[in-house]
Order: sequence, then C-alpha cells, then structure tokens
Amino acid sequence: MNVAQQLVNGITIGHSYALVAVGWTLLLGSARLVNFGHGQMYMVGAFVAWWVMRMTGLPYLLAVPAAVAMGAVIGAVMQMLMLRLTLEQNLVSLMIVTLGFGQILEGGAGFAFGAQPQRLVSPLEGIDFRFGPVWFTAQDLLLVVATIALFLVLRWVLARTVLGSWVRMVAEDPKLTQLGGVNVALVYMGIFAFEGAAVAFAATLVAPRTPIMTSMGFDQVIMTFVVVVLGGIGSVGGSYAAGLGLGLFTAFFGALVSPAYTTTAVFVLLIAVMVLRPGDLAAGRGFAR
Amino acid sequence: MKRAGIALLLVVVGFLLPRLLGGSTLVYDTLVVIAIFGTMAYGLDIILSDLGEISLAHTAFFAAGAYAAALLSVNAEWGAWATLGGAIVTALVLAAVLGAITLRTREFAFSLVTYAAAVVCANIASNWSFLGGSDGVVGIPALDLSIGPITLVAGTNTQFWPYAYTLLVLTIYLVHRFRRSRLGQAALMVHMNPRLAVMSGLDGQRIRLMVFLVSAPISAAAGWLYAYQRAYVGPDLFDTYFLVLMLTAVILVGRRNLLGPVLGTAILLVQKSFLSLGAYGDKLVLGGVLVAVLCLFPKGLASIRFRRPARTPAMRSVAVEKRIV
Amino acid sequence: MIPVLEVRNLAVSYGGDAAVAVSSLALQPGTLSGVVGANGAGKSTLVNAIAGWSRAAPRVSGSVLLDGEDVGSLPAHEHVRRGLLLVPEGHGVFLGLSVEENLRAVRSPPSSSVRRAFSVDEVYDLFPRLRERRANAAGSMSGGERQMLAMARALRLGPRVLLLDEPSIGLAPRLVITLLQAVRRLVDAGMTVLLVEQNVRAAVEVVDTLHLLERGRMIASGPVAAMKDDPRIIEAYLGASHG
Repeated sequence: MNVAQQLVNGITIGHSYALVAVGWTLLLGSARLVNFGHGQMYMVGAFVAWWVMRMTGLPYLLAVPAAVAMGAVIGAVMQMLMLRLTLEQNLVSLMIVTLGFGQILEGGAGFAFGAQPQRLVSPLEGIDFRFGPVWFTAQDLLLVVATIALFLVLRWVLARTVLGSWVRMVAEDPKLTQLGGVNVALVYMGIFAFEGAAVAFAATLVAPRTPIMTSMGFDQVIMTFVVVVLGGIGSVGGSYAAGLGLGLFTAFFGALVSPAYTTTAVFVLLIAVMVLRPGDLAAGRGFAR
Repeated sequence: MKRAGIALLLVVVGFLLPRLLGGSTLVYDTLVVIAIFGTMAYGLDIILSDLGEISLAHTAFFAAGAYAAALLSVNAEWGAWATLGGAIVTALVLAAVLGAITLRTREFAFSLVTYAAAVVCANIASNWSFLGGSDGVVGIPALDLSIGPITLVAGTNTQFWPYAYTLLVLTIYLVHRFRRSRLGQAALMVHMNPRLAVMSGLDGQRIRLMVFLVSAPISAAAGWLYAYQRAYVGPDLFDTYFLVLMLTAVILVGRRNLLGPVLGTAILLVQKSFLSLGAYGDKLVLGGVLVAVLCLFPKGLASIRFRRPARTPAMRSVAVEKRIV
Repeated sequence: MIPVLEVRNLAVSYGGDAAVAVSSLALQPGTLSGVVGANGAGKSTLVNAIAGWSRAAPRVSGSVLLDGEDVGSLPAHEHVRRGLLLVPEGHGVFLGLSVEENLRAVRSPPSSSVRRAFSVDEVYDLFPRLRERRANAAGSMSGGERQMLAMARALRLGPRVLLLDEPSIGLAPRLVITLLQAVRRLVDAGMTVLLVEQNVRAAVEVVDTLHLLERGRMIASGPVAAMKDDPRIIEAYLGASHG
C-alpha cells in the first residue's frame, strides 16, 4: 500500500465530507433541524451545474455560482413552507417534511434531467500534480482550499458579526430573540438558504469525481449523518475534524480491508460512539465552536 | 357492544371489498398490496403516534421479515408458518439490538441512528452473498399455510387476499389492544409528559424498548407476506420509497387514528395503481402530499372536519398536565 | 393628556381557559405604572399579551394602541421596532453570548425626541458593573447582573414604552431598591414604564399609578397615594403595620 497516497486520498475525501456537511451542521446547531432532503439537494446542485453547462455552454467555474444560487432558493422556499412548524419547534413533523422534500426533488429531477448517469466535467480534473509517489488533481486542491476557507468564514461570521450573534440567539432561544427586534423567520430563512447554497456548492466541487444520477441522494447523504453526529451535533469545528477523520478512515479501511463495507464500518463506528458516549449527542452543546 | 357490532360489520365489508369493487385482477393486486403495506405502516404508527419518535429503521424490519421468509423457504425449505416465526424472531433480535443502542437517544439523534441502522442493513444486504447480494433471492415458493387436513395455499393475488386481509385485521386489533394496554398508556405518558412519567415511577427506557419490540414484528410480518406475494426479495426493499410511504400513510389521516394508517396507505396506493404518473411522478405526489399535509394540516386530514379525533380522558389529563408543568 | 399606550378589551386564554380579561388600561407619557397582584393573577400574561409575545400559544383578542396605532395583531418583533419593549420574567438574556454581544446584537433605531436609543457606552455608564464584565458570557453572571443586562438590552432598543416583568425576582433587597431607583430615573427622564412587581412594598415607593390584578381582572386602579390606602392593598400586600 502506498501510505502517502492514501493519506492524500483520505484528506481529499475528508474535506469533501466536511464540505457536504457544513450547511447541515449550521442547521442542526442553530435550529435543531435534521434535513433528510439534504442528499437530494446535493443531487440537484450537481445536476443544475451540469444542466447549465450543457444548455448554455457556460464554463464550469460559472456554472458553480448558478448551482449555488439555485440551492439557496430551494433552501429558502423549503423554509417558507415550513415556517409555522419551525416556529412551533415541531421537530417530529419537520423531519418528516424534509423527507417529503427529498422525494419531491428526486421526482422533479427525474423529470427534468432523466434517468441516465451523467458527468459533471471540471477542467480542473485534468490538471495533475505529482510529487514522487503522490499525485492529486487541481480539483482536489480546490476542494480542500474551498472547504477550509468556508469553515473559517463560517466560524468568523458566527463568532464576530451581528449576523452570527442572531444565529446564536435563535439557537439558544428563538422566542427571546424576537424581543431583540429580530425577525426570527428571516433568520431561519437565511440559515436554510445557507444550507441549500452550501450543499449545492459542495456538490459542484465534489460531484466531478464520480458520475452523477438523480437517485444518488440517499447514498450521498449517509456520510453527512456521521459527520454531523460525530462532530458533536452542530459544532462547526467538530464537523470539520469529524469529516477529515472519516475521510482518512475511509481511505485506509478501503485500502486495507474492503471498499464495499466502508459505509458499514463507518456506521458501526458511529454506533460504537453513540453507545459509549451518548452525552456527546446532547444538542447544541458546542454550537458555533 | 354497539361499537363491537360496527367493527364486525366493517371487518366483513372490508373482506368483501374486492368483490364489491368489481373483482378485477387489478383491484385484487392493489388491495393485497394495500393490506401488506398498511400492516407495515402500523408497525411505524405505534412508534410515531404513541412514542412520538420517528423510526427510520422500519424499512429494515420490513426487509428483515421478507429476507427471513425468502432465505428460510428457499435455502432451508421451511414451511410458511415456520418462516413467519423466523421473520418475527429476526425482527425481535434486530429491534432488541437497535433498541439497546438507541435507548438513550431522543428526537433527531434517535432518527439519525435508526436511519444509520437502515443504511447498514441495506449495505449488508446488497453486498453479502449469503443474502443474495444485489441480485436478491428468487424462487420463493407459493404461500402454503395448510394446517393438517385444511389446505391453505395462495399463488395469485386473488388467492392472497384472505391472508393479507387477515394479517391486516389482526394487526389493527393488536394496535387497538396495545393502545388500551398498560404499556400503551405508559408509552403515551412517556411521550406526552416525561416528567410526570418519571414521577409516576415509569421506566421510560424500558417502555421505549418494549414498544420497539412490539412494533418491529408487525412490520416484519408484512415483509414476510410480501416476500411470498412477490416471490422475490432484493435490496430494493430498503428503498426510501417504502419509508416515505409508511410515514405519509401514518400522518395523512391523522396520528393516533386507528384506521388512519390503512386509509392513508390506500389513498396513496390507489393513486399509484390507477392514476400513476410514472416512477418520478409518483415520487412527486408522495413527497408533495407529505409536505402539503404537514404544512397545511399538521394534525392530518381528519382534523379538517373534526377538531380533534376523539381524545381519551387519559390523554386529556396528560395534555393538561403538560401545560401546567 | 393622550396616553402613549392604551389597552382595550384585552382577553387572553389558554386552550379555552380565560387567563386575563382587562377592559382598559392606559399609560400616560413619562409615568411609571405598577401592576401588582398575587401569584397566578395573570400579571405576566397581561404584559406578554401587550407585547404580542408568549412562550406558549395563547389566544389573544382586543386592541393595543401605541401612539394611536393598533399594534395588537403585529408579530413581536414589530412591537419592538415601534418601541414597545418587554423585558420578560426570568431569563431575559442570551447565556451563550457575552455581555457586549448581548448589547450589540439588537436592532437599535435612530434616536428621536420620544425614543432614546442608548448607545453601548451609555448603558455601561448607567450600569458600570456591566462594563467590568463586558467580555464575560452572560451565563456566568449573577441573577442581578443578568437583570441589569436584560434591561440594558431593552434600552439599546430605544423604548417608547418599557414593560418590565418582575425585574426584582430573586434579587437581594438592596439590589431591588437600586434597580427600581434606576427605573425611576429613566421615567423622570421621560420614559414610560409599566412595571409588574410582586414586591408591592418596594413598588409603591417608586410608581405613580398602581393597578391591582386579581384572577385576570383589574379590580382597582388609581394614583399610588390613594391606592396605598386601599384596604384591599393594605390587607393583602402591605400588612396592618403600614402607614
């Protein structure tokens, strides 16, 4: 086994896990919301970028913002529909609704984009960097840099800006936040728009690595679960660390044991953590840290 | 006494329903699947309505029942009664393991872990050759529930109807009894008012585990029958479609409504059978119904006409307590 | 005089049970009014309903006029935007935010002749203790300090009318006096305040008008000098030794 290469693969995969999970981390930390439509939002992000490139001939790097904008709109629309449930903190119904949104997105994408697997082509995939036994592409580099940048920006916004304070206020006590003159509905909508935009952004950067299909949402989301749970529900820094750790675990488990059982191994790991340290799952403990 | 009479009448009319609807093959096909998926939905119903948690592992229980039936009948050549026992035991073991893992988790953590468990099961089913891998298990024999001299065999859906219907009716009766049982009342109290439950000396974790153990075999029994009806099982049983179908069926009419899940299932499957818009269209409909109902009528369609579907006095006092605390 | 805040036929109920029914209540500009009553009389329910805010889901009817505009049907944050501010009972601050963040993360309006929005420095001058602890998390502060912070937050929002719900709860007697005197100074500077207090003895020392609430109804109202001698107040709250 080429240890150095697996290390590089693990770092790349890890950053992709963290990037896909970042929007959900904020959602979970601030609104205690689980978005089971997250995977389908990822799928739609990838397909919107693919469709824009194909229909308009725009280059990849311009298709990315188009997909991000679409993701933000989807997120905001979802939240507008769910507003009443969100304000009531009806978490059970909210979870089911997000599952429904996932189905809508998947059905809609099937109509719009067809059942065929497609490829979201990034020109950066063709640029290789080689250092002795180790190689990676410019796309991998972009993914890692963009992920680190997004996490740093998110932490800065949460810790240092008034907007970040509002998100933390909503996380702690949405009712009391209203008494600060803040329109809580708008804050929730912003959080959801961020979730949608972030997962679409992640999709445009990660999806060029594999073929894309409208049915891929279910599989794509499962690692995100593990990242947000292991990261300590809603903790931004924790999610980054968990994503990176899982990436390395996946790379080495795949190389040493069996790629087919990687997901299973990861979930067994998750369950082990849950059984041994259930206290870590107390929501909102390390939020915004 | 009057209520028992009405119930009996409903049971008889229900049984004759396919004939009343013309008795075509399509009617039988649809009603058999409604009975099976309705049964599956009741398994989830008691978790969602009585325990107030969302289990996403019920596709796994459903699939576990189906796989147990398939493997035991094809590889071990067990009879249908024996495979039913196998399906229930498999579900109980799975539920006990999962219940122990999720004992201390609530709301989204519970949902995440049950979802994780379903994914692990799906992953194992599509990779492990013992379970048929991605090809699944084919060649499941016809359902044969013959007891001694009484021949009870079903091959076609028309022949399947009495068995699917019986399973459904038994399940509804079981759920009805469960809600009146000590366990059912305790579960509701743990759900509605955990503090009062603790003060009343109820062990919340044990009750949750027990309810889980009641619930899983119901969905597994549905899976067991589904395996015979379809004569094939495969990893597609883990599809989110089943999960969303179950959830929608439970919430569509209204939670804690005895006939709610089967009516919900019926509405959804009738659309799929008679007004199908193709696989994508059906997904859109299912998701759209789910979102629309919860966003517009969070208490289900039954709440449109009636303020609230008959609350038992026990529930009312629990609700009042909750407000005071 | 035209009242700055007027409440007409306000009725609040929880799940069918009436909690408060007040036919009229008016606050004159630049006055301090007190609402007193026993536990469970509906004092908090009343001020919450005036602010259009609640942690539960009550049914509210009637009108609340702020400078003649009916704000009754507006969401809570719109009341705040118009200067009708509530400092709720108990946890009025965000424990996870620092003192300074608590003060900065509000939407301060521009100051006007009738609404003075305090700057962060001005509230620090008013409550020097908060300046000392500006970088600390609100969660690490004492009850009295939290109460100061909650009031300081409200001042940042430029109150036209300030509703204070039991600001003295859980405070040492000496702190109660300090706090109520601070409120009195704000009123003397032109602010209009409605104070809910169960510490009637302390309240009568600072308020201009007193309202007695019992089982959700206003059973007596009047200038504090007269109300002090009302037998119902004396008997229930001040004790025979008074006056």
